[in-house]
Amino acid sequence: MNGHRARGARIVPDPPPIRTKLPARYGPVMPSERAVRTVAALLALAGTGVATYIAVVEAGGGAPQCLAGGHGCQVAADSSYSHLAGVNVAVLGIAGYALLLLCALAGGDVARVAGMAIAIVGFGYSAYLTYVELFVIDAICEWCVASGALMTLLLVANLVRAFGYLGAGLVGAGHDPTAGHA
Amino acid sequence: MDRQRLTQIASGVVFLALCAVAVLIVVSQAGGGSGGDTDLEDVGLVRDQLKRIQQRGTVLGDPHADVKVIEYADLQWPICHDLSVDVAPDLISQVVRTGVASYDLRQWPVIGDPPLEQSTDAAKAALAASQQGRYWNYVELFYRNQGTEESGYVTRAFMTAIARGAGVKDIAQWNRDRQLDRWDAELARTASEADSLDLGGTPSVVVEGPGGQRVLTAPEFDDIENAIQEVS
Repeated sequence: MNGHRARGARIVPDPPPIRTKLPARYGPVMPSERAVRTVAALLALAGTGVATYIAVVEAGGGAPQCLAGGHGCQVAADSSYSHLAGVNVAVLGIAGYALLLLCALAGGDVARVAGMAIAIVGFGYSAYLTYVELFVIDAICEWCVASGALMTLLLVANLVRAFGYLGAGLVGAGHDPTAGHA
Repeated sequence: MDRQRLTQIASGVVFLALCAVAVLIVVSQAGGGSGGDTDLEDVGLVRDQLKRIQQRGTVLGDPHADVKVIEYADLQWPICHDLSVDVAPDLISQVVRTGVASYDLRQWPVIGDPPLEQSTDAAKAALAASQQGRYWNYVELFYRNQGTEESGYVTRAFMTAIARGAGVKDIAQWNRDRQLDRWDAELARTASEADSLDLGGTPSVVVEGPGGQRVLTAPEFDDIENAIQEVS
């Protein structure tokens, strides 16, 4: 066993030979990448469920049921903004959440950067749609709000993962001993 | 690859992602604009065309005018579209706005196989807009965004987009009004009128006045103007 004696007889094991710098920089509050990926995966799963519900209901010619009542969901579903280049935005949402789920399940820098990029796109477009709801069509759809909230949380999770763990595992640059696969 | 290089790559990806968001927003706002879709054209044009002209039910202009121009039309039919785009603007600006005649566009669904579902849906949607004083805005905007007849473009989403573009304030109420039974009776009455007038199809224009009645089929503006002078 590699180690050295310190203060007499106690054998202190060597620290991990290479350790990522960023978690140390962010201090003890920095969650492990495993935890971040797990949260991101759960959020993406929830988002997939929400988007699938909207897409399925609208494919049947209906509109999502606003749980608190009102016609916001129907107005949003009827608006021209519910489609992008002829494709229902809920279908695009399913694709986005599925990709985010894949990124959360995969390890490595490609997944970290891709997850961040997809989350930025999803968050940006969700923010735009929220603006449209508030100031253009004057209708709030609870399911759209839920999707927007999930996408916001996914952006946070993916930013934390990308900026906190980018390069973790590089030879000579350190690796994250807390990293694992969700 | 060191961490600095990775950070540079990540920064580039962030930039590309932001560009992608901008592209999505532009695509969302631009739309195709080829007709029959929910990205409407000529919303402002229609609004200006009808600005400050009285609307009562399906009648545009002074309902007590001595001369009445009555059009029998199907919102799906492209020839009716042509009349709306090529003839109606002059008719509205030179005849209706000046108080010479009123202009009544009556819904006469004739396109498609029975039960004429798409034309009837479009007609009822327009009539429902009359409940909020937006019938003519609805009709004119519909024509300006008309798709290929019986292609299935007359969807709830399309009709709602037209209603919104036409300035129908309460979309939920308009949706309920579309379902009113009274529209079936009104459409039946219009069809009966068309039969009694022996109209050959849409668009047919009837000009009524103190001097009698003239029936025109797919007329030009000059034809209507002449008929107005004859019956005045």
